[in-house]
Amino acid sequence: MTEERATVTINLDGVDVQVESGQTLIDAAQMAGTYIPRFCYHPRMKAVGLCRACLVEVEGPRGTALVPSCTTPVGDGMIVHTQSETARKAQEGVLEFLLINHPLDCPVCDKGGECPLQDQAFAFGAGETRFVEEKRHYEKPIEISDLILLDRERCILCARCTRFSDEISGDPLIEFKDRGNYVQVITFPDEPFASYFSGNTVQICPVGALTAKPYRFKARPWDIEGVESVSLVDTVHSKISVQTSHNEIIRIYGIDNDATNHGWLSDKDRFVFDHVQSEDRLTTPLVKEDGEFREATWAEAITLVTERLGSFDGDKVAGIGGARSTNEDAYAFSKFLRSVVGTTHLDAQIGDGLDPVFAATATPRAEINDLETAKTILLWGPDLKEELPVLYLRVRRAVTELGANLVIVHPRRTGLDDVATHTIRYKPGTGPDLLRKFAAGDGEYASAREALGEGPVLALVGRTGLAEDPDLAEAVAAFALDLPDAKIMPLMRRGNVFGALDMGVAPTLLPGRVAIDDEAGRSALEEHWGPLPQGTGLDTTGILEALASGELGALVLNGADPVRDYPTPSVAVAALDAAEFVVSFEMFMSDSAAYADVILPVVGLGEVEGTATNLEGRIQKVNRIVPSAGMSRPVWSIIDDLATAMGAEFGATSVEAVGAEITRVAPAYAGVSWDRLTWGDDSEGLVLPGPEGTQPLKHTPVDRGVPVVSGHRVIHTARVLYDDGVMVRNSSGISGLAAAGAAHLHPRDASVLAVTEGDEIVVTVDGEVRLPVVIDPSLVEGTVYVPFNLASTAGLGAVGPLLIDAVRGGDA
Amino acid sequence: MTTSILLARMESHPSDSHTLARYVDTGGYATLRKAIDTMAPEEVTAEVKASNIRGRGGASFPTGVKWGFLPPDTRPRYLVVNGDESEPGTFKDRMLLERDPHQLIEGIVLSAFALDVQHAFVYIRGEYPKPARRLQRAIDEAYEAGYLGENIFGSGFDLDVTVHLGAGAYICGEETALLSSLEGRRGEPRLKPPFPAVEGLYSLPTIVNNVETISNVPWIVENGGAKYAAIGPETSSGTRVMSLSGHLKEPGDYEIVAGITWRELIYEVGGGIRDDRELKAWVPGGASAPWFVPAEHLDTPVTIDDIAKHGSMIGSGAVIVMDDSTNMIGAAHRLVRFFSHESCGQCTPCREGTTWLERILQRILDGYGRPEDMGLLLDISDNISPGLTWPPAMTTICPLGPSVTAPVVSLMKYFGDEVEAMIPGTPISVGGVSGD
Amino acid sequence: MISHWSHENQERAKELLERYPEMRSAVMPLLYIAALEHGHVTEDAMREVAELTGLTAAQVQSVASFYTMYKREPVGKYLVSVCTSISCYLSGADDVLEAIEEETGVLDGETTPDGMISVEHVECSGACGGAPAVSVNWELVEGLEPDKARDLIKWLRDAQPEVVFGDEMQLLFGGRRSFDWGPKETEGAIAALPAFAPYGTVGGEQ
Ligand SMILES: Cc1cc2nc3c(=O)[nH]c(=O)nc-3n(C[C@H](O)[C@H](O)[C@H](O)COP(=O)(O)O)c2cc1C
Ligand code: SF4
Ligand code: FES
Repeated sequence: MTEERATVTINLDGVDVQVESGQTLIDAAQMAGTYIPRFCYHPRMKAVGLCRACLVEVEGPRGTALVPSCTTPVGDGMIVHTQSETARKAQEGVLEFLLINHPLDCPVCDKGGECPLQDQAFAFGAGETRFVEEKRHYEKPIEISDLILLDRERCILCARCTRFSDEISGDPLIEFKDRGNYVQVITFPDEPFASYFSGNTVQICPVGALTAKPYRFKARPWDIEGVESVSLVDTVHSKISVQTSHNEIIRIYGIDNDATNHGWLSDKDRFVFDHVQSEDRLTTPLVKEDGEFREATWAEAITLVTERLGSFDGDKVAGIGGARSTNEDAYAFSKFLRSVVGTTHLDAQIGDGLDPVFAATATPRAEINDLETAKTILLWGPDLKEELPVLYLRVRRAVTELGANLVIVHPRRTGLDDVATHTIRYKPGTGPDLLRKFAAGDGEYASAREALGEGPVLALVGRTGLAEDPDLAEAVAAFALDLPDAKIMPLMRRGNVFGALDMGVAPTLLPGRVAIDDEAGRSALEEHWGPLPQGTGLDTTGILEALASGELGALVLNGADPVRDYPTPSVAVAALDAAEFVVSFEMFMSDSAAYADVILPVVGLGEVEGTATNLEGRIQKVNRIVPSAGMSRPVWSIIDDLATAMGAEFGATSVEAVGAEITRVAPAYAGVSWDRLTWGDDSEGLVLPGPEGTQPLKHTPVDRGVPVVSGHRVIHTARVLYDDGVMVRNSSGISGLAAAGAAHLHPRDASVLAVTEGDEIVVTVDGEVRLPVVIDPSLVEGTVYVPFNLASTAGLGAVGPLLIDAVRGGDA
Repeated sequence: MTTSILLARMESHPSDSHTLARYVDTGGYATLRKAIDTMAPEEVTAEVKASNIRGRGGASFPTGVKWGFLPPDTRPRYLVVNGDESEPGTFKDRMLLERDPHQLIEGIVLSAFALDVQHAFVYIRGEYPKPARRLQRAIDEAYEAGYLGENIFGSGFDLDVTVHLGAGAYICGEETALLSSLEGRRGEPRLKPPFPAVEGLYSLPTIVNNVETISNVPWIVENGGAKYAAIGPETSSGTRVMSLSGHLKEPGDYEIVAGITWRELIYEVGGGIRDDRELKAWVPGGASAPWFVPAEHLDTPVTIDDIAKHGSMIGSGAVIVMDDSTNMIGAAHRLVRFFSHESCGQCTPCREGTTWLERILQRILDGYGRPEDMGLLLDISDNISPGLTWPPAMTTICPLGPSVTAPVVSLMKYFGDEVEAMIPGTPISVGGVSGD
Repeated sequence: MISHWSHENQERAKELLERYPEMRSAVMPLLYIAALEHGHVTEDAMREVAELTGLTAAQVQSVASFYTMYKREPVGKYLVSVCTSISCYLSGADDVLEAIEEETGVLDGETTPDGMISVEHVECSGACGGAPAVSVNWELVEGLEPDKARDLIKWLRDAQPEVVFGDEMQLLFGGRRSFDWGPKETEGAIAALPAFAPYGTVGGEQ
C-alpha cells in the first residue's frame, strides 16, 4: 500500500532526480541509487546527525556548505554533491577519525564480515594508519546483562543503542557516560541492561561493540544462511530472518517492515530459537506401556492411534490445541477431527482466551498501522509489554512520537503507564461495574472518558488476566464501537491462535470465518469435506469436564498443555486422568503430554513451512530452513497418515496442497497464494479476506451482560514474557530470565496480614503455592497479583476462591 | 580611549555599586518604570532593534534581529541569559554580575517585558559561585522591592528569574548545549535549525542572550536605540567590554568604543607589553579566534568587520597578548588541549580530531616530534574543517570542533619554523625533503 | 530514600523540583545537594537524584559524568583548582601547580592521604586578568605567585577554615586582580562545591 507523495527535483552529483518531498537527503539519494555512508542514522529513529559520516556538500545562497544528509530534508532545486573533493575529504576524514581508536580486531569480531565500519573502511578509507598515539583502552568485553556483552573499544559512539533504549523501548538503562574523548556507552553499576528489547541494540549496533551471548562466536557471517519468516512467539507475527550455520539455527534478526514490527523484536522472539536444538526435544514417537513411555516407529504409532481413536464414536473424541503452529497444521487438525473422526468438540484455546467469534470476526477490525493515525487509544486488556511486546513498541511510538492519547484500564501498573494520558486501576471481577461508570463518565472517570472523544479511536481489548470473564473484553469493545471512528483489535497472545480460529478449530466456527450454524457455509464445506456432524460442540472447558465425567473418551492434544495453561489446572488433571485415550502432538514432554498414551513428535521453528495469521488477520508465510529434528514431522503430514489409515481420502500430499485447499475451502482465504506472500505485492502479508475472498461472518461486538463478581479479596493473575512454558524452559538463552515469582499485595492487605516485603505467604486458588511477598501500591486494595505459570506459581490457577495466609516462623 | 556606560556605576561607586540602594539612587529601575508605564512591548523591542547592538557572547548576531525570530503566537516563551563565560581569556560577564547585578536584572525585566516572557533563567558557570551569589541577592532584593515577581508596578506583568549554576563544561556556553543543560541533560549542542528562538527550552520559543548584551538594554531603552547606534562605527555600535590578558602591563576589563587600533588597545589601554618586551602575537577574540601578529595587524581597527576581514573574529572580546618569550607551540597546545577537554564528544571529527591534535602537539613539546607531524597537524585540521577557511567550514554540530583549527593553523602559518625547530632531525637548512 | 538528607536540604530539593517548569531541570542542582549530603557524587547520591526526578540511575550518571565539578571520587576538604589555561599558562601557572604539588606532596588529580587537600588543574577560570589564578572550593585567589601558593597550602593545613572566603585568601596570598572586587563578600564555601545559598552550600558572615 503506497500512498502518493509529492515529489521535488534535486540535482544529485550533476543529475536531476525526482524524490519524495519531506525525505532526508540520505534516503532520497539512496532511492536514486547513491549510497551515502552513515553510522548513527537509523531510519526508525530520530536522526541526530552526530557521527558526521554522511556529510555532503549543498549549494546555498551563501556558497556551498557541508551538511549531514541524514538530518537535511530535500528541497526543490537543491544542488547536492556527495562526491565533491570537499565532501569526500570530510567523509574520509570522519572514517579515519572513527578508525584511529578502533581495535581493528575484525578477525575475532562477531560482526566481522557484516560490519559497516569494515566495509566503509575498504570502500572509502585511507589504507595505513597515521595514528601513532596510544589508543583508548577499556576492559573488554563486559557483561551488561544476562544476554548482552559490551566492548567499548569497538564502540564508535553512534548512540543507536542508547537512543533505542530511550526513544523506542522506553527503558533508558544504557547511556553515554563522561565527555569528549572519554565518552563511553555504559549501564549504571549493578543496574544491568535488563530490557525485554535489548537484542535490538545488538542488531542495530553498526560495529561489534554489542554482542549477544547466545550468538557469540557461534558462526562467521560468511557461512550463514537465512530465510524470511515470521515469529510465532506471539500473535503480532513479527517479520524475522531465521539464520543458520551448518543446519543449526544460530540467530534470529528482525526484518524491517511497515506493517508489523518495524524491524524490532522482543528478546523472546529473538532468543527463543534454541529450544528446537534442545536435548529434551522429542524426536521419536513414544508409546506408553505400563505407565512408561518407550520409543516406537511411526508405523507402530500411527496404527495404534488409528485403532484407539477408531474404537470411539466420533462424538466421544475431542481435540484441544492447534494454536502453536501453522494454518496448514491447524486446518488439517480441524478437517481430521470434524470430517474423519466426526466430532464437533474442538478448541484451539485453553480457556484462557476470548470468545472465538468475537476474536476472529469482530468488526470493524483494526490493523496495527491504524496506530499511526489514531488520535486516541483505549487499552483495556493485557499488559502489552509482557504479553505482546512488539505491539507495546508500536503503541508507545503512537503516543510518544505521534502524540496519540492513551487510556489504560488494568488491575495494576503496566509497562505503558509511564506514557499513558490516563490510567484506571480496578479490582478484577468489578470490571462490568467499572465499564458502566466509565462509559457514563462518572466522577473520577470523567476526564478519561473525555479523552476518548477524539477520533480516530483504537480500542485494544483483551483479558487483563486469566481470572477475568472473557466476555468483558467484548463488552468493552461494544462500548468502544460508539466512539468516533472506532476500530477494534481483540488481543490474544498464543502464537497462531487467530489462524487456528480461522481454520475452524473452535466449537462455533468453520474454516474461513463461517459461523457453525451458517447452513450455506456448512454445505459449501461439505462439498470438499464430505458430510459433517451437526451442531455446536464443546469448548475446552466443556471438553475437560466431559472427559472427567466420562462423557468423552478420547482426547487429541495438538501442541496444547492444559495442565499448565488452563485456568483451573485441577480440572485439566482430572480430565487427563479420566480420559481413556490421549494422543499428543508435541515437541516436548509437557506436563500434559505426560498423561498421553501416544506422543507424536512434531517439527518446530525453522523446520515448519506454511502460513500464519496474526491478530490483525494478516496472513504471512512461515518458512523452513533446517531439516526436521530426528524423526519429528509436521502435524499435517502425520494427520494425513492417520486419516488415510482410517480409510479417508485426505489429500494432504504436501503442505502446498494443504495451503491450496485452504484457499478453495475457507472463504476468507480465497485467492491467497504463497507466491504473492513471498515475492508479490503481499510480501508484508495480506490482511484477510484474500483478493477473491469474503468474510461470511462479520460480528458486531455486544455486551452480553457480564456478571459482577465481588469478593473481599480477589486474585489477579496474568502472563509475563518469560514464563515456565516449554518453549522458554527449553531455550537456554532466556530460560534463566524467568522471574522467581511473588505474591503482590496492596500495602493495606499486607499490613492486615502483618507481612512485609520478602515474607512468605501461602496463596490458594485452585491449587496452593507458597510465595514471597512484594508490596505493590499499584494494586487496588483487596487484589492479590501472582504471575501466571512460573515454576513457582504453576498449579495455582486463576479460578476459585482466594485464600491467603501468612507463613509464621516455625510452621512449614 | 575608554568610555563608561556599562561600567559607570562600579567606577563611580566602587564600594556599593552592586546594591539595590545604590542602583536606585543612581537612577536604576526608573527606566523600567517608565517603560512599563508608558511603552508598549513592541516599542521596547524597536529601541533594541534601532540600537543595532550585536551579541556580546561571541557570535556577534544582531540582537534585534534575533528577537524578531520569535514565532508570534506560541506561549510560553523563555528568556535565557548566558552567563557561562568560559572562553579562555574572557572575564567580563563575571565583573558585570559581581559589580552591577541590578543593571542586568533591569535589562532582564525590560527584555522579558518586550518579549512577553514570564520566566527568565540566568545560566552561570559553576566556577562562578560569587557572581551567582551577588546576582541571587540582587534578585531577592528586586523581588522584595517589587521589580520582580507578580504584577510588577501594578502593570499585571509577572516575571520570575531563576539562577541556574553549571557544573564545569565550557560547551554549555553554546546556546543549544546550554538549553540541554538547563533541561537537566548532558550539555550537548543540538542541531540547528530549529533555532532556540523557534524551538528552545522545553521545545518552546526561547531567546538566549549574553550577560553583557542584556546589561546594555537599560541604557538603550533609557537613551533610545538611535543614541546607542550613534556610538562607534555603524556595524559595531555601542561600547563593549574587552578582557585584556597575557603579557600586558595592565591587563583587565576595559569598556571601549570600536574603531581604535590594536596598537592603541594593546599599548595604551593595556599599558603595553610587560617588561617592555616585544609583542609576538595576540588572540583577538577568545580561544576560538585565529591569531593576529604585529607585522600584519597592529594598525588595523578593532571592529567586528575589520577583524573578520583579516580572517579572525572579535568573539567574546577576549584579547590574549603574547610577548617574544612565548613558546608558541606551548601556547597552541594549551588552546588545543582546551578544546579537546571541552568537546562534548558527540561529533566524530571534534571528539577524535581535537584529541589527536593535542597528542601530537604534546609529543612535539616532549621532543618526540616527527617530520611528518607538521603536515599531519594541518591535514587533521583540514579533515575537521575542509579548506581551512575562516569562518571555518563546519563538519560538526557546533563550532567548537572547527575552532580547534584556529590555533593550529595560526601556529603553522606564523611560527612553523619554531615547530620545525622542535622536531629532532628535521633538516631545517634543507627544507622540503623532510617528511617523506 | 532521601529521608537521611537534612531537613533543610529536603526542603531545598522540594523547592527546586517545583521551581522549574519541568522536573528534570532540577537534576543539576539536586546533584550538588546530594554531593553535599554524601561528600561527593556517590552511586547512592545518583540513585537518590534519579528517584527524585523520575529518571533512571543510568540517566543521572550520564548527566553527572558530563560535568567536571561533580566529583564521583572522594575529594578533600579543600579542593585546590589551579587554572592552567592559556592566560594563566602565559603567566606561569605551571610553576604554581608544581609548587602546590610539592607543598601538598600529591600530584595533579590526587588527594592528600589525610583527606585534607585535593589538587587539580582546570581550564580557564575566568580570572585571566589576574593570572595566575587558583580557587579553593571555587572561591578565587588571583595573582597567586608560586611561593604564595605554598603559603596558601600551609595556611589551609594549619588554619583549616570551616568556611573558605575568597577575600580573605586574596588579602593573605593574592596579587593582581582581574578587576576591583569592590566590597567584601559575606559568604564563603563550606565544601568542595560552589557556595550558593539555594543549594545549601554557603557558610556565612565573615
Ligand atoms: C563553543 C561555544 C561556546 C560559547 N560560549 C559562550 C559563553 O560562554 N557565553 C555566551 O554568552 N555565549 C557563548 N557562546 C555563544 C552562544 O552560543 C550564543 O551565541 C550567545 O550566548 C547569544 O547571546 P548574544 O547574541 O547576546 O551574544 C558560545 C558559542 C559556542 C559555539
Ligand atoms: S562540535 Fe564538538 S562540542 Fe560541538 S557538538 Fe560536536 S562534539 Fe560537541
Ligand atoms: S549518519 Fe548522518 S551524522 Fe551519522
